[in-house]
Amino acid sequence: MTRAQSDLLQGTLDVLILKALALQELHGMGISRRIAQMTNATFDVKAGSLFPALHRMEQAGWLTSSWGQAETNRRAKFYSLTETGRKQLQTKTEHWTGIAVAMAAALGIS
Amino acid sequence: MIRRLRVLWNNLFRRSQLDADLDEELSVYTELVADEKVQSGMSHDEARRDARREMGGVEQVRQNVRDIHAGIWLEKLGQDIRYGVRSLAKNPAFSLVAIATLALGIGANTAMFSLLDQIVLRLLPVKQPERLVKVTVLGNNYGNTYGTDRVSWPMFEDLRGGNKVFSDMFCRFLATVTLGYGDRATQAKAELVSGSYFPILGVGAALGRTIAPEDDNIPDERPVVVLSYSFWRNYFNADRTIIGRTIVLNGHDMTIIGVAQSGFDGVELGNAAQMFVPIMMKTEMTPHSDGLKDRRRRLAWVAAYGRLKPGISAQKAQSSLQPLLHGILEMEVQQADFRQFSDEDRRQFLRNRIEVLPGSDSWLGNYMRRPLWILFALTGAVLLLACANLANLMLARATAREREIAVRLVIGAGRGRIIRQLMVETLLLAGAGAVVGLALAFLADRLLIRMYLPANEAAEFVVSPIPDWRVLGFAFGMLLVTLLAFGLMPALRASRTEAAGSLKERSGTGSAASVSLRRMFVSAQVAMSLLLLVGAGLFVRTLRNLQNQGPGFPTNHLLEFNLNPSLNGYSNQQTEAFYERLNVELQAIPGVSSVGLSSMPILKGYAWQNAVLGDLSGARAEDQPVLSEVGPNYFATLGIPILEGREFTEQDRGPQKYGMINQSFAKRYLPPGDPIGRRFGLVDDQDPAHQPDIQVVGVIADMKYRDLRETPPPQAYFPYFQGASFRFMNVYLRTQSDPRQLQNQIQERMRQFDPHVPIVGLQSVDEQIDWSLRTERLVASLSAVFGGLALLLAVIGLYGVMAYTVTCRTREMGIRIAMGATRLKIIGMVMREASVMVLAGLSAGAVLALALANLIRNQLFGLNPHDPWTLIGASFSLAIAAELAGFIPALRASSVDPTNALRQE
Repeated sequence: MTRAQSDLLQGTLDVLILKALALQELHGMGISRRIAQMTNATFDVKAGSLFPALHRMEQAGWLTSSWGQAETNRRAKFYSLTETGRKQLQTKTEHWTGIAVAMAAALGIS
Repeated sequence: MIRRLRVLWNNLFRRSQLDADLDEELSVYTELVADEKVQSGMSHDEARRDARREMGGVEQVRQNVRDIHAGIWLEKLGQDIRYGVRSLAKNPAFSLVAIATLALGIGANTAMFSLLDQIVLRLLPVKQPERLVKVTVLGNNYGNTYGTDRVSWPMFEDLRGGNKVFSDMFCRFLATVTLGYGDRATQAKAELVSGSYFPILGVGAALGRTIAPEDDNIPDERPVVVLSYSFWRNYFNADRTIIGRTIVLNGHDMTIIGVAQSGFDGVELGNAAQMFVPIMMKTEMTPHSDGLKDRRRRLAWVAAYGRLKPGISAQKAQSSLQPLLHGILEMEVQQADFRQFSDEDRRQFLRNRIEVLPGSDSWLGNYMRRPLWILFALTGAVLLLACANLANLMLARATAREREIAVRLVIGAGRGRIIRQLMVETLLLAGAGAVVGLALAFLADRLLIRMYLPANEAAEFVVSPIPDWRVLGFAFGMLLVTLLAFGLMPALRASRTEAAGSLKERSGTGSAASVSLRRMFVSAQVAMSLLLLVGAGLFVRTLRNLQNQGPGFPTNHLLEFNLNPSLNGYSNQQTEAFYERLNVELQAIPGVSSVGLSSMPILKGYAWQNAVLGDLSGARAEDQPVLSEVGPNYFATLGIPILEGREFTEQDRGPQKYGMINQSFAKRYLPPGDPIGRRFGLVDDQDPAHQPDIQVVGVIADMKYRDLRETPPPQAYFPYFQGASFRFMNVYLRTQSDPRQLQNQIQERMRQFDPHVPIVGLQSVDEQIDWSLRTERLVASLSAVFGGLALLLAVIGLYGVMAYTVTCRTREMGIRIAMGATRLKIIGMVMREASVMVLAGLSAGAVLALALANLIRNQLFGLNPHDPWTLIGASFSLAIAAELAGFIPALRASSVDPTNALRQE
């Protein structure tokens, strides 16, 4: 990951995780793969940033976790959104949409 | 309950569980990544290696996650503390009462435990103090004795040589000496010690060396002295060049060879040794009595100690020493000085027994043991009461906060979080209470030590007001128990609150269970208060009885001091002349109306006793009157009426010996009829053929001698100038006005009179009597304070519960009034409820008080421990205070406006 990407991650990781979990509950690696898929592999979230973020968000009450069955019959910890998490996703989505539109306009991309 | 505790535990401290979960989560992640790679065609091993590399260091990831948790935890704790402080500050009345209650419970207990520990429980600061024992002989020595814990010098030698249970023995004798250094003279306490003293105790020197066995082989041979550390610091300003210098003790040059290790002040608490001298110097240190060289077996003066051999218990030592003692007694009873005693006395003597006591045994410890345990038990009751009060307060608070907690549960706070919040609040309270309590304990102990010891002794007394770690541990132990009892229970209950139910309820009415629990606590408080009040009543009345009793003569306008010119090396003739001149000198001071001298101090617990020979003394030798040698005008000075005959005069010099007796003596030892002119004698162990040679010239009214508690014992007095030697003398002065005004003048006159003879203990006899009642005053005033506080706490508790019940039942009261209940009826209804609690508490308290009263029987004077008036008085005042506390809420209930009350809900 380049430095630019990592800077971007600071603000985007939370919203990406929330988004990744919006449809279904996932375990850690699942979240990582889902984010890669959603962003056309632009973001490859490594364990070193993923797990601290997950635990922080869980403590904040956005996520809950439970142990369940993963592929290949392994026991893994699955995360899912709480009601608060869903609201957060909504707020952050609005926030990011605003930024994205503004940035696009500013850079003359649209 | 255990399950609940475990949940709470997990919420608070589930670090390790969390770590295990995290480990598993991370390893599953790695394996899943590896699985993925295997599926895409990598070999198994390669996939795993790759996956691990991608992970980027498991330990680092783990640490990052942990940091997140720690940060969140700290942040939450900060929030909890801020929130706790805010919610405590929002309710200052509650917080103040709670902190004050805690501080009282912890402070009182810590203060008392500190004294109890240092005076009664603690062992000596020596090597293996638990293996050090004091050896005493129980029973009459049939001779002179310096205390019941003393044995004669030959007896010590026999015990030391003949025993098989001690690795070695030492003996000691504390003497008062005159110390001269530079141009200063003062009295000091010198511990005369056998050469084995320091080696057995294992006490070393801070400077120079201690007394070695070879310093103590030959009488009068080694004039050496070791200073105690505190005396070296206080009197010699910690001068390090002091070793090898000479000081003068009783006129003899002595070389300082060392300073003992710090913290060691001899082996007797309350009688700190300021210096140590080989016991072979006894003749020089106590100029007028020997006992070392004359080897009298009927003079018990040394305290003997031994260090138990490994594997020997104190009990084993005691039973092993008994045959040895019996052999020595069998030999002693055959000796010439025993011939004068009856066969019954001989049989009695042979029944004397060895007693092995802890090495830390001391007069002060024995004297204070019971009062201190009683006070400690009282503080225990205070603690129970404080706990009941706190539990009550916390329950009330938890009930009042059910709504708040319900709201917080609804907006998403976890149950664990709320329990933690309550625990933090409780801890804040407890912490504040502990800090205030320890400060209180420190101040209280300083005050008590100052009250208990005169200023000059307090400075050198080894009891320190600073609580040590054991006391702190004790305080925190109590704190923890209290905390668990009153902090956890409401917390657990509150967190179980059904949110919906609580919010629906009208104004947070607590469950019936919590109200009945609170009533129970109020009853317990009333019971404890009654116990404390009864104790206070008994002790205060004891003190008043003792003060009212008086010693049997008027004590106002009476001044006293004592001195001992013989310690300066003055001969008998010089001392006699000294006292004669002193008498004249003092008489000449304006404001002094009369002067009396006595060899024995009165009301200080001392007694000189001797068996009597007489015309009709059928009495056994064991039954001894108390004696004293006095000067002319002694009884006139004290104001003791002469009932028959006359007082001594300067002319009563001899050869005929004269005596004065009191009424009890006449009744006990003399035949009926006029005692004047009758003769009696004193049993003399040096002279078995001694005849009654003392002629009675006067009879005085009975007065107290040792202390205010005693019934006046039979007493006999002799002119001091007819005595064999002149030593220590107590001077009593009757003054025309307040005796304290004369103190400075007398001090000054005496310095001019003879600068080498220090005068000691100058004070009024009233002050001295006050001082002699210090233990009684200590117990009475502390128990009164505890009782008053207990009453206050019980009243606050009762008021709180009643006010709360009434508030909860406003609606019910409204309905009742609307239905036509009169105000009186409502008041009656509420008061009945309060009375049930009070009565339950009073009956429990009365049963407790009656059951426990016997324990303090010995501490009382002039009243029975089951004294009905004290019990009735205490119950009555408690009941009135409690009913008043209940009346205010009752009045409020009766003035409820029915329309308002019903509309409110």
